Amino acid sequence: MEPKLAIRNLSKRFGDLQALEGINLEIAEHEFVCIVGPSGCGKTTLLRIIAGLETANGGEILIDGKGVRAPGADRGFVFQADSLLPWRTVWKNAVIGLEINGLVSQETREYTRSLLKLVGLEGFDHYYPAQLSGGMRQRVNLARALALNPMVLLMDEPFSALDAQTREIMQSEMLRIWRSGHKTVLFITHQIDEAVYLADRVIVLGRRPGRVKEIVSVDIPRPRELNVKRKPRFIEYVDHIWQLIENDVRDSVIEEGAHRGGRRLAGQAISQE
Amino acid sequence: MNARGARVSSVGALVPAPLRTIYARLGPQITSALSIAGGIALWELVGRLFVKNSLFLSTPSQIANEIAMLWISGELQMHMWVSGQEFFIGLTLAIVGGIFIGLVMTSSVKAEKILAPWVTALYATPTIAIAPLIILWFGIDIWSKVVICTLNGIFPMIINTDAGLRGAERHLIEAVRSFGATRWQIFWKVSLPSAIPYILAGVRLAVGRSIVAIVVGELFGARAGLGFMLIQASEVFNMSRLFAAVVILAVVGIALTSLAQALERHLVPWRRL
Repeated sequence: MEPKLAIRNLSKRFGDLQALEGINLEIAEHEFVCIVGPSGCGKTTLLRIIAGLETANGGEILIDGKGVRAPGADRGFVFQADSLLPWRTVWKNAVIGLEINGLVSQETREYTRSLLKLVGLEGFDHYYPAQLSGGMRQRVNLARALALNPMVLLMDEPFSALDAQTREIMQSEMLRIWRSGHKTVLFITHQIDEAVYLADRVIVLGRRPGRVKEIVSVDIPRPRELNVKRKPRFIEYVDHIWQLIENDVRDSVIEEGAHRGGRRLAGQAISQE
Repeated sequence: MNARGARVSSVGALVPAPLRTIYARLGPQITSALSIAGGIALWELVGRLFVKNSLFLSTPSQIANEIAMLWISGELQMHMWVSGQEFFIGLTLAIVGGIFIGLVMTSSVKAEKILAPWVTALYATPTIAIAPLIILWFGIDIWSKVVICTLNGIFPMIINTDAGLRGAERHLIEAVRSFGATRWQIFWKVSLPSAIPYILAGVRLAVGRSIVAIVVGELFGARAGLGFMLIQASEVFNMSRLFAAVVILAVVGIALTSLAQALERHLVPWRRL
């Protein structure tokens, strides 16, 4: 079967730094794929190139066999930072993608309304982002990305700014939402347990240069409850992936530590040990 | 009045609960009002008991009387009409022109390089100082004051429009870009809305500067207007009339500034949260 999303021999340089080198990936329709890797492995860059927000130095991105270079309605992007427009209400934020593409109609409005209900924000249409919690804002971001009914959903550490408990809830919500629409999802995270919990396959990237180290198929049956995270099987997966990237993470922590403390990764390293 | 206010706050426990909640809600306003009332009372007292000579100090009651006389004779309305015309034409030109120049400056690097040195140099120049020259060029009627007013009000508008348009957050621009927004759509949906709070703050600054500009302009040469009334009164040592003009200008200044603030609140509802 032809993959929904194919990445062929992709490379990207920033000056002297080889951020990505020879990335080859194929993602099937309806598949949920997570990318994990230490900071500096180029995972965000990879996602941004797929979204068309950045251009590659070599290689190509294919969706349904067709090459893409610029942003488009076939891909929905969920950002790491809170990227809702503060002067727009929840509803106006949710329909902005439709507005930009001239697709506002009775039908798409109803679909967007059903999405806001799906992410649990029914009745919040007239709220401004400043009136919502971090978790609620990310739900709007998700609904906004889904409103154009994209073929592929690209998510860049969408829950990283949330507190640990909200993040857990959002992970299980994410799976519920994914089950209802079965989009193809490419999800970036630096949290290994998040990746194992969500993904059909976890792609482990290494750094300097950013490249695929290993692809781990997660053979845990769905639907997955949150308590699956405490099962030995789950912990084995997490442990395996951690060993794959441990040295890279250590290097990046030391390197970042030299610059600016690298608090986040250091914290992660401790929690994983 | 003073004594009653003091009792409300210091013997608060003896005051019935509903009155206390009213004070809690209106407290700050009441305190300000009492402060102003106390100041006026003190002024009146000093004028009547100690100075006793209206050549040196007019009392509030004399000023109020003068304002009433000016109103009845129709003189006040005539001066206010002239200054009002100068103000509204001048301010409108400053707002429209300032936003336009600000837009041009942000439209391209070249436009910025051409305009920025002029804006910076003229902003730092006290244009009030060349008011006599402008009166020479544009005549003694309202148009010279309109020009002085515009010259003073336009710079906060240019600078704030420019800063606001440049201040649009990168991640918000990226968010709409990920939906395939064109440059024009980015301008309309992100840059302009994020500049609105800055532009409105510019309007508030321009209002204050315009009032000062008109009064000073009229001091240098005019046939009518509040500034003209003020200089005439001072030349014949009519202190009551001089103070009447100052009081009216202060009241108008406060009214117009709070009008601009109300406009800000109305047009920037997401900032109130």
